Amino acid sequence: MSPKLSRILLSLAVLSWSVTLLYFHTSGRITRYLAPDFRLICLIGGLGLAVLGIFNLVMAGDQDGHACEDGHDHGSSDLPTTVVLLLMLVPLGLSLAWSKDAYSSGALARKGLYETPSRSQITTTAALPITREDLEKSHRKTADGSLEFDLIELFLATGDRDQQRLLDGMKVATLGRIVDERDHNAAGTRKRLYRLFMTCCAADSRAIPIILEFGKTPPPLPDNGWVRVSGTLGFPIVGGVMQPVLTVDQASAVTAPAEESFQRR
Amino acid sequence: MPDARQDFAFAFLSLLFEGAPFILLGTLISGLLDVYLPSGAMDRLLPKNRIGAVLVAGLLGAIFPVCECAVVPVIRRLVKKGLPVSCALTYMLAAPILNPITALSTWKAFEGQDAGLMTASRLLLGFFVAVGVGLIVSRMPLAAVLKRKLIDDLDHSHEPTCCGSSCGSDCGDHSSDTKLLSAFRSALRDFVDVGAYFAIGVTLTALFNTGIAPGAVWLDDVARHPVGAPMALMALAYILSLCSTSDAFIAATLHSFSNGAKLAFLVFGPMLDVKLTFLYQTVLRRRFIVLLALGLFVSIGGLSILWQLWFSAHP
Repeated sequence: MSPKLSRILLSLAVLSWSVTLLYFHTSGRITRYLAPDFRLICLIGGLGLAVLGIFNLVMAGDQDGHACEDGHDHGSSDLPTTVVLLLMLVPLGLSLAWSKDAYSSGALARKGLYETPSRSQITTTAALPITREDLEKSHRKTADGSLEFDLIELFLATGDRDQQRLLDGMKVATLGRIVDERDHNAAGTRKRLYRLFMTCCAADSRAIPIILEFGKTPPPLPDNGWVRVSGTLGFPIVGGVMQPVLTVDQASAVTAPAEESFQRR
Repeated sequence: MPDARQDFAFAFLSLLFEGAPFILLGTLISGLLDVYLPSGAMDRLLPKNRIGAVLVAGLLGAIFPVCECAVVPVIRRLVKKGLPVSCALTYMLAAPILNPITALSTWKAFEGQDAGLMTASRLLLGFFVAVGVGLIVSRMPLAAVLKRKLIDDLDHSHEPTCCGSSCGSDCGDHSSDTKLLSAFRSALRDFVDVGAYFAIGVTLTALFNTGIAPGAVWLDDVARHPVGAPMALMALAYILSLCSTSDAFIAATLHSFSNGAKLAFLVFGPMLDVKLTFLYQTVLRRRFIVLLALGLFVSIGGLSILWQLWFSAHP
């Protein structure tokens, strides 16, 4: 392969990475892949790759100052061009074709979907105020009188005795994705509600789950779909471990929020 | 199978989006250095004293930042130009870790997970291990370290005319336009080389991260073992062959491992991995590479275990 053709192909490979980064950023899909800190970096990276790729593509035929007397090309890669192209483009192409911007339930189980809060490795600075008055000031009240919480607040309350006492028996509403409950669900009345907690990117994300108790067969809701639920929160012992359980009064399917994952603050 | 594809794709793309901009930054700087920095400049910075020279060589990575893929051709050129081998090896091992881009990416990747401690520990451990290797090499005969062909080049004081991939700006009176073209071309070469290995690393990481790879369960099992965990992550770092400017993003996702084991991953990987094993063979004797690998594995593993024990006892 001639040095010029090699440079053209490698420039196109770089441009394919650039287009991918820029497309995911401009389409908004990037919110499911990266924490906010990294989204601007991703955009700048995409633009930088575009400059690198376009410059080298346009100048592919020009002779640079490092031309050797023996005629070999300093701009060539250490690896054969075809190998570089395969490595850079095949996994990317397959991932673009296969991605659904979310994990399957199997991967979620590996990422803590069925872990109990007390055993979770999640740490965050999110902390609830410790009086009921503070809670009512800082959380919106819904039409049915429930206080609206982020799911992570209910999840983390399990590890804090003061917050547990405050929230135990309280009418709360929250938002998350609903999946089947795998353990301690012989009667089939339970589901699990979760959201992801992302530190940098989706690969490091962890599931934040609570248990939903319907008291009867749960209503038909789309598996892994977004739902808003309201009911009474409790912290019973389930499977020998204290867990946050929401006894559901109402549950309805909703559209996904703009930021689907919780982010490190 | 469809689930596995979906999970792999989601993890792969997220890691790619996170790491690619940092690789670009590293390769652009490397490309500019390649063309604009005279290769004698580093030599002039070093003290005449042997120990002092090795210590300063260990710090040069902070001034001349290159990642491990770019550093091998650079030191090959510098050794040919007369830089002491002990200093060249110290720089080669330390520069990928002690460079500002690596420090920044480690900090960003570990935000919320003892970022300051992990970044400082990585830089310090990398520096001390590299200086240790440099001091040992300074007492070894050249023939035990360098390839025969390189020693022959030194013996004949052969200076190639504007050749070698690490060609500096001492090549003649190039115009600024051709220098810019050379810099961009060098950056393209560096990016695709590193990008290709990064793609392998991200592919393997995505497979382990989502539990698709057969070794993922074994890796989970060993994660809590105080000695097995750093050893396993050093082996993983060797196989993944990640760029030092982006490997922290992978390490930060290894939630089941202690920070000590992650530190071993972060220090060992930039000093030795699959691709470096091949790159080192352009400069070093195979026997020396094997000894270097064993020494790095034992010393970094041991120091990481001690680090973990210390911070477990003094949280």
